[in-house]
Amino acid sequence: MTVHNLYIFDRNGNCLFYNEWNRKKQAGISKDEEFKLMYGMLFSIRSFVSKMSPLDMKEGFLSFQTSKYRLHYYETPSGLKFVLNTDLSVSNARDTLQHIYSNLYVEHIVKNPVCVLGHGLDSELFSSRLDAFIRALPYYSPRAA
Amino acid sequence: MRNKEVACLERKLTGMTDEALFEFLHMEIVSHVYKEQQASNGGMDNKDRAVCVSVLEGMGFRVGQGLIERLTRDSPSFKDELDIMKFICKDFWTKVFRRQIDNLRTNHQGTYVLQDNKFALLTQLSNGKQYLDHAPKYLAFSCGMVRGALSNIGLDSVVTAEVSVMPSCKFQVVIQKL
Repeated sequence: MTVHNLYIFDRNGNCLFYNEWNRKKQAGISKDEEFKLMYGMLFSIRSFVSKMSPLDMKEGFLSFQTSKYRLHYYETPSGLKFVLNTDLSVSNARDTLQHIYSNLYVEHIVKNPVCVLGHGLDSELFSSRLDAFIRALPYYSPRAA
Repeated sequence: MRNKEVACLERKLTGMTDEALFEFLHMEIVSHVYKEQQASNGGMDNKDRAVCVSVLEGMGFRVGQGLIERLTRDSPSFKDELDIMKFICKDFWTKVFRRQIDNLRTNHQGTYVLQDNKFALLTQLSNGKQYLDHAPKYLAFSCGMVRGALSNIGLDSVVTAEVSVMPSCKFQVVIQKL
């Protein structure tokens, strides 16, 4: 049971924050390219999901899973996108992501006068609180599943 | 324009409706003052920084003066200087920052050091030394508030603040004897 990594994108596609806890294999491309790839994929999949939905859609794309990991997605009304990769034992991380947004991002980034919204988040307070929060999650353990 | 901002702040602080409102407004005031100074002077050297700090302090002064009038409306007059400082540390600090001063020290000769270990305007900034050089900007207004409050009680003072590890900070009040 574990959390692999977390990305935070703003509404323009800039990756504001990335951290990994348990990543065994890298993507083989530079970090910039990886962020662009992730954002591009999210953008396409969201528009695909809403187009092809056979019913009226409420929230749209929530997560996808492979045989080894699950990617969870949460978008705020202000256009911020939170992406969390966990292993398969975590079925729903929406609450987690919502908590990261309202209790960590809003508290420590939005309310931080020095952090300019839209630029990379380099507040140590935010990183350390986020790290502590992830490690305290019931489904986190340092050894990958 | 300045007076309107000051009046608006006063209302928010005594109403205590929503802390976030004051915090956001304060952030924007600081940023606005610095941007204006930078724009009108084409740079930001130490003299500009001093001007910004004194502008913020001046705004805080006026707000503090108004606040203390409303807060001491129903209280009896103060016995002595120490009593006034205790009022600032307890009632005033609670009304404005939702907590009390953690530690008050004095040399009994007019100098007081007020220590707040979790200063409300610094808690979101950092938990240690990051952004330490930005901290004074966010303390200037509060220093002015204390000075303004004391001034309307009848004490002339000089108020400065120092911070070494956030969010803890110390306000030093030196009462001016006439």
